[in-house]
Amino acid sequence: MIRFRTVSILATAAAVASMGPTAASAQDVLKIGFAGALTGYLAPYDQPTQQGLELAIDEINKAGGIDGKIKIELTTRDVRSETAQSAVVAQELVDMGINVMIAPCDVDPAVAVGQIAQAANIPTIAPCASTPTLPGIAGPFTFANYTADNLQGTVLADFALEQGYKNALILISRDTPYTEKLPLYFKQVFEAKGGQVPATLEFKMGQQDFSAEVTRIKELNPAPDVIMTAAYEPDFPAFIKQLRSSGINTPVLGSDGIDSPTTLALGEIAEGVVFTNAGFPSEGGPLAKFNAAFTAHFGEEPTSVYPATAYDVIKSIEAAVKATGGNLDGQALRDAIDNLENVPVATGTLTYKGRERVPLRVVALNRIVAGEKTHVADVTPKAADVPAP
Amino acid sequence: MLLEVRDLDVRYGAVHAVRGVSLAVEQGEIVALLGPNGAGKSSILNACLGLAPRSGGSVTFNGAPISRLPTEIIVRRGLTLTPEGRRVFPHLTVMENLKIGAAANAKLRRETAGRVEEMLALFPALTDRRTQLAGTLSGGEQQMLAIARSLMSAPQALLLDEPSLGLAPNIVDQIFDLIAELKRRGVTILLVEQNVELSLAIADRGYLLASGRIALAGTTAELKSTGRLERAYLGIA
Amino acid sequence: MDLFLQQVVNALSLGGTYALLALGLAVVFSVLGLINFAHGELMTLTGYAIFFALAAGLPYPVALVLGVLVATASAVVMERVAFRPLRNSNATVMLLSSFAVAAMLHVLFQNLISARPKAIPAPQFLMRNVEVLGLQIGAVQLVSIAVTAISLLGLTLFLRRSTLGIATRAAASDFNITRLMGINANLVISTAFAISGLLAGIAALLWLFQRGSVDPLMGFLPVLKAFIAAVLGGLGSLSGAVVGGLLLGFIEVGLRAYLPDGMQAYREAIGLTIVIAVLFFYPSGLVPRREAVR
Ligand SMILES: Nc1ncnc2c1ncn2[C@@H]1O[C@H](COP(=O)(O)OP(=O)(O)OP(=O)(O)O)[C@@H](O)[C@H]1O
Ligand SMILES: [Mg+2]
Repeated sequence: MIRFRTVSILATAAAVASMGPTAASAQDVLKIGFAGALTGYLAPYDQPTQQGLELAIDEINKAGGIDGKIKIELTTRDVRSETAQSAVVAQELVDMGINVMIAPCDVDPAVAVGQIAQAANIPTIAPCASTPTLPGIAGPFTFANYTADNLQGTVLADFALEQGYKNALILISRDTPYTEKLPLYFKQVFEAKGGQVPATLEFKMGQQDFSAEVTRIKELNPAPDVIMTAAYEPDFPAFIKQLRSSGINTPVLGSDGIDSPTTLALGEIAEGVVFTNAGFPSEGGPLAKFNAAFTAHFGEEPTSVYPATAYDVIKSIEAAVKATGGNLDGQALRDAIDNLENVPVATGTLTYKGRERVPLRVVALNRIVAGEKTHVADVTPKAADVPAP
Repeated sequence: MLLEVRDLDVRYGAVHAVRGVSLAVEQGEIVALLGPNGAGKSSILNACLGLAPRSGGSVTFNGAPISRLPTEIIVRRGLTLTPEGRRVFPHLTVMENLKIGAAANAKLRRETAGRVEEMLALFPALTDRRTQLAGTLSGGEQQMLAIARSLMSAPQALLLDEPSLGLAPNIVDQIFDLIAELKRRGVTILLVEQNVELSLAIADRGYLLASGRIALAGTTAELKSTGRLERAYLGIA
Repeated sequence: MDLFLQQVVNALSLGGTYALLALGLAVVFSVLGLINFAHGELMTLTGYAIFFALAAGLPYPVALVLGVLVATASAVVMERVAFRPLRNSNATVMLLSSFAVAAMLHVLFQNLISARPKAIPAPQFLMRNVEVLGLQIGAVQLVSIAVTAISLLGLTLFLRRSTLGIATRAAASDFNITRLMGINANLVISTAFAISGLLAGIAALLWLFQRGSVDPLMGFLPVLKAFIAAVLGGLGSLSGAVVGGLLLGFIEVGLRAYLPDGMQAYREAIGLTIVIAVLFFYPSGLVPRREAVR
């Protein structure tokens, strides 16, 4: 809370400091600022995000710019995974006269960045923060992009019920909204549709050792039909290794945090794990095409979906600029993004219209089979089933 | 000259502890360095071994300058110090303390077992305490161990800093007997002592230090005869 | 009862790993008076060494040995580069230097390797379950306990039997007098760092078997735990580090196993409160570093 207060003081200062320069000036360059974490704990997400931004911008510029005339210029500044530094960097970018801001990959720094940009009437898109409350907290100029936690929780709960599981155990960590809330969204939907979640276990991120939790799962009576968690590296691999090596074979459901080579490298331990993510590269589909373009551009395959979702952000911005007819005014851009519908992006399509700045997008279900990710289904959950953020 | 100190200055920040001291020790001699508390005696010995900050002057050993060498190299050249207050390794056993005294080079390490026996013969009080932790020895035993440990490196010259400090009279006698025995074995000794009488009894020559300066120097006979020693002591203390 | 014993095994296994790490910190602290906060990065280096060794096609056991050797060598290099030039300044400066080393390595790992974790497979036999005296015990845990015990035994033998080991202990109690024995001060300090690197490398193996990946920040949490364990046991005391590590393992596992569900959210705070309570009654740790008895 204290953090929010400091931020809004900064935001006010920003508003005073930057009166004027953002008013629409006839220009043929769209300036995008990325306040990204190139170092620190968020770097694993923001570094690939940077690649996706680069690729999308490169493609558009090579084709002559948006609508063949507006080139995009990207400025990236390191926020070092710190919220305070994010606010400072955001202010620098605003002062440089950017038109659109792209926020770091976690809620707190994204909120800080969004509020600074908002004070200067600059729209912000958070490429990979998945907390659905983010735009609500940061304000009307901030948009989410990524598959939101409540979407994933809903899809996982529907899947679990479909499989006939009645009794679920959830493993949560209060260290981040993602690791805490996503399983709770799952629980909410699962229980609303007749399932039961009698046991909740907690872990501390990075605790590494899950022996005590595993021993407690052994004790449970009745034993759970399914275990659901939003834990990711290094917690998820550590947890499932210790779970399986103690002879517990209960199915495990996870979320997009485990969509990584480490999970696949777990071998037979991870066999059968089902998880949601932002998209599956089905042959001939847009994500497969994106991955091919990525590989051609960077000389290596993407190791996560974050380049693709970052690419989506640029595609949304492109669509919004087209919609305003090249008007780069902040308010106009904001309104245009808010009204986007079925924008074709790398992971499928994106709709902001009527979504309170948290886009509706496809959630992919994947299953690990023999160390490979296989496609189960693409699901767009019913809007009514999705718990409010 | 085996050991020669010339114009030595030692400063600890603002404290100018040793001011232009020159002294020399000849092969086979026992030289006493006397003086009241705080005169700078320990500072001189420590500076010889590179353990105190030397701000001026020089030290030569066997004709070679040693004042810029690190402590361990000086020791390997055959000069060592038994520091004031004994400073045995309290958590090491007597045996370990002795062993580590011979760790300086491979030749010494090979001869460790033999030298340990030699030391135990020289200090019979330590024989039964081989496996005892050094910190649990009596003060006198610790002093014996400290000297024995220094001797393990087969030094040519030994600097002894107040070996009788805080010991009972009969133990003090034993220590002085031992120093005489070391001289017979050819070890050159520079002895810092508060016990003036006993020191002059075994030393060949002596220096009196006062406020960081040499106040008096000469053979023991000269020092004893003049009566200046007492006056010099009283004048300061 | 069975489950209780199982939790005891869990605590021993976790505490053992903490003990190895705390011991690594303590060995260096005892000689140099420095808490090396870059200790965790030695673990990370082990992880990356194994990753690249496997990528280069080396056999798995060779990669593991290489990983441990890299940590050992890196510790020695770290001392030469980051601490030796500062040896005559005070302890705080060296402490800051250790933070700087850690931060620089983070950035190098993130920018030269990858911010994303790199997978390190664990041998499949470690994923099994072994029955010991009617208890189902994970193979990783058995290996952890065994490796910890062997490492402690090896270290004890080294410190008691070898001249260099005795010198290291001597230097821990009186550095200048150790030099007065003709012992090379740099050699002793390098030895202490090599030991700490070796222990970090071994602990890293156990850590990696459980987590399955290495990432730039992998070392941060373990070094924090090791620091708590070392303080709990008595800073600079080697046996204290082992006691502190094991105790921390028991505290953590005990709370996770027996704290009611509603209170799990506070367990980190409760754990630290217990640590502080112990320090209140034993201000210099459970097995304080022994001061000279003069
Ligand atoms: N490490 C130090 N830092 C600051 N001052 C010191 C230090 N060591 C010695 N001194 C000062 O230098 C002066 C000489 O000390 P030194 O120990 O050499 O005297 P000493 O002749 O050996 O005395 P004593 O007979 O009491 O042992 C003293 O005033 C002492 O306070
Ligand atoms: Mg003295």
